[in-house]
Amino acid sequence: MNGLVAIGAGIAVLGAFGGGIGIGIATSKAVEAVARQPEADGKIMKNLILGSALAEATAIYCFVIAVMIIMMLKG
Amino acid sequence: MEEKVKELIEALECETVFTIPIGNGIPVKESTVVTWIIMAFFVIIAIILTNRLRTTGIGKKQAVTELIVTKLFGLVEGMVGEEGKDYVPYLVTVMLYLGVSNIIGIFGFKPPTKDLNVTLALAVMSIMLVQIAGIRAKGVKGWLKSFTQPIAIVTPFNILDLFTRPLSLCMRLFGNVLGAFVIMELIETMVTKAALPALFSLYFDLFDGLLQAYVFVFLTSLYIKEAIETE
Repeated sequence: MNGLVAIGAGIAVLGAFGGGIGIGIATSKAVEAVARQPEADGKIMKNLILGSALAEATAIYCFVIAVMIIMMLKG
Repeated sequence: MEEKVKELIEALECETVFTIPIGNGIPVKESTVVTWIIMAFFVIIAIILTNRLRTTGIGKKQAVTELIVTKLFGLVEGMVGEEGKDYVPYLVTVMLYLGVSNIIGIFGFKPPTKDLNVTLALAVMSIMLVQIAGIRAKGVKGWLKSFTQPIAIVTPFNILDLFTRPLSLCMRLFGNVLGAFVIMELIETMVTKAALPALFSLYFDLFDGLLQAYVFVFLTSLYIKEAIETE
């Protein structure tokens, strides 16, 4: 039973994949934007942080679900 | 291994420190007590810094105080906009509280934001403030009408937003702090207690904690800005 719970938690965390890709794309575009327009640095940084926070949230949900699986189902 | 897992789970749980003997007894959780400590810290700092303020011939202490307040207010006002000036003090307060409570793990306390109830309360407070700001700016009629903007068909989604926004605010903060806490505990109990944790603590406790405080306030002010927008 405990083994299955661990596997379930592991599968739940696989969703963090999406968050990682999202933040990666956002950062790459932000770097491009800064390279093109260095004077808009502050605004781009702000938007990047906002986008990253929203993208990261999905990964965080996966983590919270995984922790909950372990905490609630642990026999 | 078993013992270490047990230790980890024990660190995750929020213990009851003491019980107020009224009725069936009101349990006071650890997060509440740590919050009191943070409150005491801020109150003492505020008393020290605002002691003997004057308008002419300011001292060094007052100059520093004014610098901190103007910088923080300017930062938040840049996010919430000119019309949302009334809400800046609340947002700055939340930012200071979250900033300190996220990094308090360094000093050996359990961060209060690791407790889901704390982050949930903060998120509910934020979303209520957003709605009140909407009512204040547009009136009850305008506020109700704003649910049908931009077109009538999105009304259910706008109402759903009332619940998903605080949920995402609460879960984001909770998950980040919990994640940092778990990783730090894992490094400390399973790997080493030497120099390595200090290095990771710099990222997970300091950087991530402050960033999350900023993100929480940023999102709240974004919602307020959206709510008070009048066309």
